[in-house]
Amino acid sequence: MKKRLLAALLTGVMVVTMAAGCSSNNKESGGNSAGGSDTVTLKVFSNLPDRKTGQGLVEQMIIDEYMKENENVTIEVEALDEEAYKTKFKAYSMEGMPDVVSIWGQPAFLDEVVDAGVLAELNQEDYTDYKFIEGSLNGFTYDDKLYGLPRNTDVACIYYNQKMFEDNKWEIPKDYNELLSLAEKINAKGVIPMAMDGGDGWPMAIYLTDILFQLTGTESADIISKAISEGDFTDENLVKATELLKESADAKLFQKGYDSQDYGTAMNLFTNGQAAMFYTGSWEASMALNEDIPEEVRENIRVFTMPAVDGGKAAATDITAWNGGGYGVSAKSEVKDEAVKFLNYMYQPDKLSKYGWENGVGMSAQDQSEYMTGEETDLMKQIVDIVNHATSVSGTPINDCGPSVFKTSIESEIQSVSNGSTSVQDFLDTIGSACK
Amino acid sequence: MKKLYSNKLVILSLVLPGLLLFVFAILAPICLSVYYGFTDYSGMGSYSVTGFENYRELMHDTAFWTSLRNSLFLAIGFICIQHPLAIVVAAVLDKLGGRGENFFRCVYFIPNVISVAVIAYLWKFIYNPDFGLLNNIIKAFGGKGDVNWFSTDTAIWAVLIVLIWHGFGWGMLIYYTGIKNIDQVLYEAAAIDGADQKTTFFRITLPLMKPVIQVNVTMAVISALKQMETVYLLTNGGPGNSTQFAANYLYQQAFKAFRYGYGNAIGVVFIVICLAATVILNKVFEDRDERKVRRLSGRREEKAA
Repeated sequence: MKKRLLAALLTGVMVVTMAAGCSSNNKESGGNSAGGSDTVTLKVFSNLPDRKTGQGLVEQMIIDEYMKENENVTIEVEALDEEAYKTKFKAYSMEGMPDVVSIWGQPAFLDEVVDAGVLAELNQEDYTDYKFIEGSLNGFTYDDKLYGLPRNTDVACIYYNQKMFEDNKWEIPKDYNELLSLAEKINAKGVIPMAMDGGDGWPMAIYLTDILFQLTGTESADIISKAISEGDFTDENLVKATELLKESADAKLFQKGYDSQDYGTAMNLFTNGQAAMFYTGSWEASMALNEDIPEEVRENIRVFTMPAVDGGKAAATDITAWNGGGYGVSAKSEVKDEAVKFLNYMYQPDKLSKYGWENGVGMSAQDQSEYMTGEETDLMKQIVDIVNHATSVSGTPINDCGPSVFKTSIESEIQSVSNGSTSVQDFLDTIGSACK
Repeated sequence: MKKLYSNKLVILSLVLPGLLLFVFAILAPICLSVYYGFTDYSGMGSYSVTGFENYRELMHDTAFWTSLRNSLFLAIGFICIQHPLAIVVAAVLDKLGGRGENFFRCVYFIPNVISVAVIAYLWKFIYNPDFGLLNNIIKAFGGKGDVNWFSTDTAIWAVLIVLIWHGFGWGMLIYYTGIKNIDQVLYEAAAIDGADQKTTFFRITLPLMKPVIQVNVTMAVISALKQMETVYLLTNGGPGNSTQFAANYLYQQAFKAFRYGYGNAIGVVFIVICLAATVILNKVFEDRDERKVRRLSGRREEKAA
């Protein structure tokens, strides 16, 4: 009897253990309605983990305002940095996506995501009064259907330390050769000419796009598109642009070990005054407001764009700019209406665009001219000036123009070609075969 | 109690949780990996079965072979540098005794306690060519101090040093425990016979440590093949693919390049290599033992005859 009792007890424990392991937490599963029928929980999945400064702060401000105005709505935010975000995004796509998500309006990201049916289609007519800049929705449109909205207009920028330039009588280069001779002069002073995040690959891919755009002007998008669709990168302009990139690294334009250093390290070299220039995008315009940066650097940060290349077709006012990051709504969201309502609230011209402007996070994808107070930092004014006077823009950088296999390949191989461990021809062959 | 354990229901209840865990957490994912390895699944949406296409591509993928070569390189580094050092340090610690023994044991184990993320960033700063500790030390000694430790040619060595340093404490601790379990009577007998420290180490410590060495070396080889997190945080395989490791390459293909099917094919090849490494290592150690036993029993038989 005792034996049977013990056996039954052990079996019972086993069953309970297994049941506990296999059960799902029903309270959490939907996450969309808790309590009364009017209560809605929206899940926002963001690639902006810093909620205290920059774009993350702007996003959080809008979320807080929305919850204040809609007391029945609770918004839960999950924020990860870009790489971790993209990995988890993929995991979510298999088991249920949060309601509002960060997305990128670029083929390398959007094509696969839309093909997998992850994103809900948005009604284009809802946004006619949202003052989106002409063409900014194109990257988020797939087969004439809109799947997301752009957050920024990103401009490739060369930030420089004005005081350092003035003290050393360095001139802003008018063409690429001047940039390389400037690098020599700066190196001679024991300063790093240009801080570059070469470890991540994408900033150098933008740099390559920038050179290519200066070489070919408005033809660059077609050259890239043709090369990717045919898997053939033998176009002479692509060869020349890559050679120029290598030449720049050889001329010690970038810091020693640039090909293994990350974004933070490169940025620190510039903000600590160890580098005279920093290559990144307009999203770093908030550096001029960041009190963690020493005042003598912070107040002297200015910007110029890629100088003209010898024999290039681009005008001095042609810039490398694109609409990259933005937001979309999950196709399988159980509260899709509320999610779209929140998305539209974010994009009301006096929200994302205005707050972004006030917090110096760079150019929005919407017209911001009415929010200019005249009290913006000099850096912001300069960037606005560059965008307002732009005669043409490049569009999506080369690494984001193809499938993600191509993106991974070019971002890894670009380090090797710039540091000379791979030849230009091998580099172009390798990225070409990644497209096939 | 004996009768209780012969009850099949009880046996089943005791075995089943472990069995289920093995089936659902290990066996099923491996089977799924094998299946997805035959597909062009991107990780999202639909997919089609492509047969051995992924494996064919893998055979010509230079980045994969570079990553595998680096993993094997690390395994050799573990076996030839980390473990001999760990055994010697463990033996010295054992002889040290007193407070010193406890102190150094803790000191050597500290890197294992620190999070991998902290370790990676610590070494990133140590290696930094502009403000890193290493270059500053070189400068302090009158050198130029402008070495790019993560250049294509030297990056793999820089990464190996970090990995060997990081895993050293763990290996040392296991060897130390093994040495502590050796009967002291043997050392006393050796001392009476006039054996010096070196002879004692090679004739008593090392032979009796063989089972520990076998486990430790097998674990080291497997961990070298599985190496991912430190490399991911330190160089992410770069510059180019010069510090690419198999597990990191698998992650990049499956999750960054949206090639889940291909990533799984790498995973399958990876499992086969890990299993093969384990079997080979077991054979290497087993054969020697068996050979020795056979030799000894042969001698005994000769003497008896």
